[in-house]
Amino acid sequence: MKRETDYGYEIKPVYTPDDIAGLDYKKDLGDPGSYPYVRGYHPNGYRSRVWTRRMTAGLGSSKRTNEVLQQYRKMGQTQGMLVICDRPNAMPIDADHPMGRRESGVLGWHGASLLEFEELMDDIPLTGQSITLLGSSAMSCMRLAYVVALAEKRGVDLREVHGSVTEYPFCHTFGQTDHLPLDLLIKLWLDSSEYIIRNKIHMRSGILSQHFQESGGNNAQALAVEIAQLKELLGMLVKERGLDFDDVGLLPYELVSISSRFFEEIAKVRALRRMYAKMAKETFKAKSEKACQLLISVHTSGRAMTYQQPYNNIARCAIQTLAGAIAGCTAIDNACLDNAHAEPSAFAARMSLNTQHIVSDETGVTDVTDPLAGSYFVEYLTNKVEAEAYKILQQIEDQGGMTAAVRKGFIHNMMEASARKRQKEIESGERLVVGVNELVIPPEEDDDIPIQSVEASDSEEIAKRMETWKKTRNMPLLKEKIARLYADAKEGKDFNLMPSIIEAVKAYGTAGEIMGVIRVANGFHYDPLEMIDCPFDLQ
Amino acid sequence: MSHRQRIKVLISGIGLDGHFTGAEIVSRFLMDAGMEVVYLGIYQTPEMIVSAAVEESVDIIGISSHASNYEQIGLLLDLMKKNDLDDVPVICGGTIPKRDAEALLERGVAKIFPPQSSSESIVDYIFSCVKR
Repeated sequence: MKRETDYGYEIKPVYTPDDIAGLDYKKDLGDPGSYPYVRGYHPNGYRSRVWTRRMTAGLGSSKRTNEVLQQYRKMGQTQGMLVICDRPNAMPIDADHPMGRRESGVLGWHGASLLEFEELMDDIPLTGQSITLLGSSAMSCMRLAYVVALAEKRGVDLREVHGSVTEYPFCHTFGQTDHLPLDLLIKLWLDSSEYIIRNKIHMRSGILSQHFQESGGNNAQALAVEIAQLKELLGMLVKERGLDFDDVGLLPYELVSISSRFFEEIAKVRALRRMYAKMAKETFKAKSEKACQLLISVHTSGRAMTYQQPYNNIARCAIQTLAGAIAGCTAIDNACLDNAHAEPSAFAARMSLNTQHIVSDETGVTDVTDPLAGSYFVEYLTNKVEAEAYKILQQIEDQGGMTAAVRKGFIHNMMEASARKRQKEIESGERLVVGVNELVIPPEEDDDIPIQSVEASDSEEIAKRMETWKKTRNMPLLKEKIARLYADAKEGKDFNLMPSIIEAVKAYGTAGEIMGVIRVANGFHYDPLEMIDCPFDLQ
Repeated sequence: MSHRQRIKVLISGIGLDGHFTGAEIVSRFLMDAGMEVVYLGIYQTPEMIVSAAVEESVDIIGISSHASNYEQIGLLLDLMKKNDLDDVPVICGGTIPKRDAEALLERGVAKIFPPQSSSESIVDYIFSCVKR
């Protein structure tokens, strides 16, 4: 059995003060609430506020997802909602697109229009809880427009809405869909981020290492990729959009993937807080404390969940949840016992959410802030993963930064090599995984668990509804808004498209239509899959 | 072994599934085992997969699918029959629930490899069903 970190550092049997010789408590750690925030952002930690406990929702129609969200609220999830979007939405194409017809509602919510968002949020408040909608980067501006439009309709002050609906432009590199070229994705991300910051909306933007890590990257690489992205994207908001870093620094949040190597995962999160704080202060000359504090949310690792003996995943989820809590994150959403099979069933979701409540209410983890501080091992690991991450960050910088490293294939190759290494270690038995290469049972004796699935007929139903509904819209109004969007989209990269996107969304323009028109204005085919033509006369 | 004697495998994602790690890892170890791999990548429709299979005269098709709408794999099988490709086995890997896996096997998929299947089991299976 291999005793080493996933980034190749051999773990010793015992750690002593020698391993952290030279650690300066005030400079390198600081009390909770003090720079460089290794120990967290609040002096009293979870005594001030427990992390947001939530489960991912989203499957099938908007009405069905609304029912799931209502159910989660009854199960105690009232601090925040988290909805994941489906694949046509990620592309983005509409449900009535030939490919949309095959996959709408599969693996998420089909949020392709304001109508869908209105149905999703039926009887659910826009304020008093965080609203998180996860999906591709291209759709970020649409999701933001939904929130703006619905807040206006309900007479809610936008500045009272909080959560996260926008996402980073590199996500397509790590297994998300997005069929827009990277330049256009970056432009749209800058537009939505600038709109959020200038209008003082308390909406964060997800700039994540989670997708990278779930696709195979290791802990040190994940830290490097995260900092490289933050440096490049936040830098653009400052340099190209003329924003103050003290405002820009309030925008990002990071979703960290937490797996089962308990101490290493806690060390990673502690190192991330320090790396971000240093970057904010040293690179961007942040003046405010808040701008040095990266909001960190945790997603327990779906990749660690096994298909074999799925009930074991409840134990894995509990360990990962405890690690996330000890690490001091601000929100957790859990992978479920059925994660290697399908989207969460009601039973699996209840188990995961209850796991969070057991960890928060029964273990005492909320009593003390950063309880592992001072552990020779954890402090050493925190230093070690940070040092390894800086080496990789330097390699990314040597490529010319994150965008250049993505274009050169450096990030992808690093991720794939790491995934292959792990696969080999599991196959050789160097890494033990219960149910896979240890304590294996015959498949016929394996447990049957309830599985939630979407049928092909569900996708067709969503498609048919969209087809019929599209004909009922105020077409002259929509055409007018689409014409303005098209004209604005031809204005150039620094012209902010958010106002015209919001207007088109209010006129019930769909994702396929709005993103399609932006594509055409930028010289691309209306349809990312080139199967249908633009329904509007844009000349 | 000459080029003609090597087993030729087509590996592809299907539909709008954006996950690629599984397909890439499998492609790599099939190549390491001496097979020729035609890697189509992700976002392939059943039509595109069949067309590539005909053009490349592959011996076997491997579909990687991560919690997808499995009807797309069914459509692929139907299209293969129409194109006289019945003799080309289709194997699938990924997070396919048991119920869906059974339905796919009944419909004509040769073998399904669940997550965490070993590379050896996949390589051995391909050698056993594609004789050279």
